[in-house]
This record gives sequence, structure tokens and C-alpha cells, in this order.
Amino acid sequence: LGSTALAALAANPGSVTLSFENGERELIAFPQKRPLIVLTSRPPQLETPFAVFNEGVLTPNDAFFVRYHWSGIPTSIDAQSYRLRIGGNVNTPLELTLAELKQMADAVELIAVNQCSGNSRGHFTPRANGGQLSNGAMGNARWTGVPLKKVLEKAGIKAGAVQVSFNGLDKPPVGDGPDFVKALNIDHALDGEVMLAWQMNGADLPLLNGYPVRLIVPGYYGTYWVKHVTDITVTDKVFDGFWMSTAYRIPDNSCACIEPGTAPTKTTPINRFNVRSFITSLAEGTQVKVGRETVVRGIAFDGGYGITEVAFSSDGGNSWHPARLGKDLGKYSFREWTASFKPQRKGPYDLKVRAVNRIGQSQPMTALWNPMGYMRNVVESTRVLAA
Amino acid sequence: MALFTGGVLALDIQLPPETATYRPSQLPGYQLVQRNCMTCHSAQYVQSQPPASPRGYWEATVKKMKKPFGAQFPDDEVPAMVDYLAKTY
Ligand code: HEC
Repeated sequence: LGSTALAALAANPGSVTLSFENGERELIAFPQKRPLIVLTSRPPQLETPFAVFNEGVLTPNDAFFVRYHWSGIPTSIDAQSYRLRIGGNVNTPLELTLAELKQMADAVELIAVNQCSGNSRGHFTPRANGGQLSNGAMGNARWTGVPLKKVLEKAGIKAGAVQVSFNGLDKPPVGDGPDFVKALNIDHALDGEVMLAWQMNGADLPLLNGYPVRLIVPGYYGTYWVKHVTDITVTDKVFDGFWMSTAYRIPDNSCACIEPGTAPTKTTPINRFNVRSFITSLAEGTQVKVGRETVVRGIAFDGGYGITEVAFSSDGGNSWHPARLGKDLGKYSFREWTASFKPQRKGPYDLKVRAVNRIGQSQPMTALWNPMGYMRNVVESTRVLAA
Repeated sequence: MALFTGGVLALDIQLPPETATYRPSQLPGYQLVQRNCMTCHSAQYVQSQPPASPRGYWEATVKKMKKPFGAQFPDDEVPAMVDYLAKTY
């Protein structure tokens, strides 16, 4: 083979209209991807069409959402010359090849949801500016890699370590804007679960999902899942880059919410997912048969305590019935659920689903609000028509 | 499509062409946004904002593009761009 790259099949783009004002979007196939909902083409920001979540509990690589901040993204990555550097407050700075990284420890596998902080932002009322996403900036995959802990232990953490920062190959295309760098507290980085992954769902990461290596931070919003990671730096103070100290901050209270139109008095970096659940088998406006049983299916997930209960309502939340939970693929995974729905009369039905996790956290009936449009987790409604 | 080229493990991709453009207007800010706002990202970021986002949002956003994001346009081009954005989107 020559060195020419094949162009993406941009031909025949479809389009979709997301269910909020100004929700018209193109569907375009980017490299290694099927046609996805385009938020911005440069940098590539792609949302998964919601129907994909009904294909299975794992989200296929070619349908997995894509989020970048800067358009200076790598379009050619040579796995031979790729290096991962571990430095800062360590005894022995390391510079690893991909092969060396893979041999640092026994490979581990973990099924975990990745979700954008701003997933569902477009549904905020009042609206919140920023990336106007519907519910498709999330996905669930089986990640293969090594625990970050093993790599940090090889480098040897010195006393006084406070955080670990992560930088990848993406960068500002021009100017002196802040490079996208994220940080985790040292205890979190050493928890044995945070991982450096090179595969998702048994295949190399697609380039747009972080090839050759990305950080996996189970239960935490995607902003921490740094892609094409090249530099890991142990710091002796709280890392204060723009993307930690100014961006990705939530109100520092238990609901991460405030009254619409007000400003938070104190903020903290966004962290764990709250509880969410969705119906995946029926789209808004679907017709179902009166007097016939429909098995409704969907997914639920949380920040890593694990979903213990899902309730289904076919009357807009007046009465609830327990749904059956599907196979447990681990506390960070989507959990499938099913519920029986047998409409007795003709007309509209407002279907709702609500999940509870192991520590009793659930979802609010009315949406919580914050100015950045993060962490939406209201009990969603799917209206269907029985005929 | 992605390609692993002969022998070496290079993953090469070619991104599809951009499709979005700024909405034409007689306002002077139209020319300015085309010159100043396409260097870092495509026009969809502007297009897809909630309709009738307040002027204050556009003003803060254009300023944010300069500082901290590092856009290179001069301060005196800000008002015309804000005016175009507030009236067009
Ligand atoms: C030097 C780089 C650069 C230039 C030039 C630039 N932007 Fe941006 N812009 C960014 C970055 C980076 C983001 C994304 C931040 C993120 O992903 O969270 C962004 C995001 C946005 C958003 C997204 C929504 C939001 O509220 O964050 C809008 C709207 C926007 N830019 C408008 C503009 C306009 C209008 C101009 C020209 C006046 C412009 N940009 C020029 C870097 C730039």
C-alpha cells in the first residue's frame, strides 16, 4: 500500500432534527465512523444517533461519540514513534513506547460508560449556551489497557504528590490558547481503576476516540478521558490550567444546580456522573397496539455505584412498576432493563423511566439547572400513541 | 476510512470537507467573522447556539475567543462582529 490516505465518504450526508429549537444537524461519516450527528466538523464533534443505543448494551466503535476542544488534532499517528512520557514529581521519569506500555502490567478489561459533561445540553430550559447536544454524547465500551497505578508505580511517586495531569496530541491550531490538559487527584489516579487503554470493544481505538492510547476514568465525565495521551505529569500542587480552573466547573453543592438565571457562589471541577436512564426501544411518537403487550427496553447507568433498581411508568409518573434488570456487566456499564407495557385504551401515553443506584441516588422529576448545561439527568418522557 | 500503510503502523485519516458557512449579511461584521472566526473551528459552533441568544452572550463569547483562546483579531473589530452575531443568530 502507498502512503495516501483514503478520504472519508462524505457523500450523501443525511440529516436529523434534534428535539429542541435549532436542532437541525447533518449526518456525516467521518473516518472509521458510520454517519453520525455533526455538531461541528472542525474540530470533529460527533453525536451518536439515539437509535444506536437500542442495538446492544455496548456502543459500537464506529458509532461512538467524538468530542474535541481544539481543531489541532492529529490525522496521522505512527504507533512506532508514539511515546508516552511520565514525569514531574517522580523518582524515575519514563518514556514508553506503545509496546512497552502494553507490557507494563497484565492487561485488564473494564466495561465503562463515557459521557460528555454537556450531554443533553440542548434540552436545558432555559437553554444553556455551549455545544448543543441531544442525548447521544455517551457510549458504553469494553476498554482494554493497563491500570494507571502500575505505570505510576514504575516511575515511583515522590512524597508531596498532589495531582497527576494528562496531556494529549490535540492542541490549539493557532495562537497561544490553553492546551487541553486535565488533572486527577493523586489518590484517584492511584485507585487501580483509572486506566490507560489502547482498545475498545476488542479493536484498536479509532483515531477520533484517542488512538493509540487514551485515559479511562470510570464513572467520571468524558472531559477527563484524555485522548492520544502523551504526557503524564505528577504535580506537587493543584494543577491550575484553564480546563480545570475555569472550564468544566459545576456549582459546589449537592445537586450541582442553581436557580435559572442566577450565578453559582462557589464552583468545583465536574466529577462523577449522576444517575440516568433512557428508553431505547421506543422513540417519541411511535405507535403501539392497544391491548397488545409491548416489551419496552432501555438502559440505566450511574457514576460507578451500580444501578440496583429501575422503575417504569406508562402514565406520566403517577404510578411506577419495577423493570427487570438485564445482565450485570459491572458497576460502570450501561445496565439493560425491560418492562412490559400493555395499553388498554387508545390515545397518547407518557412513558417514563427512573433508576436508583446502590447508594440510593436517583433522578429528579423536574430538571435541575446550571449555567454551563452540565449533568442533565431528569426523568425523561417518551410519548407514544396507542392505536 | 483509515489506512495502516505498508510496513509501518501509521494510522492516517482524512477528515471530510467542511459544510457550514456563516450566514450572508450586509452587516460589516459578516466579512469580519469570515476572516476571524474560521481559523480554529467551523461555523456550526455559532449556527447551533440557541436562537436569539442574548447580545451579552455573543459579546462574552467573542471576547473569550481572544482571551484566553488566543484569537488574533484586533479589539476594534469586536463590536461589529458582536452586532452581526446578535442580529443574525
Ligand atoms: C484561537 C482560536 C479560536 C478562534 C479564532 C475563535 N474561536 Fe470560538 N472557540 C474556540 C475554542 C477552543 C472553543 C471551544 C471551547 C470548548 O470546546 O469548550 C470555541 C467555541 C466557540 C463557541 C461555542 C460555544 C460556547 O459558548 O463555548 C462559539 C459560539 C464560538 N467559539 C464562536 C466564535 C466566534 C464568533 C469567533 C470569532 C469572533 C471565534 N469563535 C473564533 C477557539 C476559537
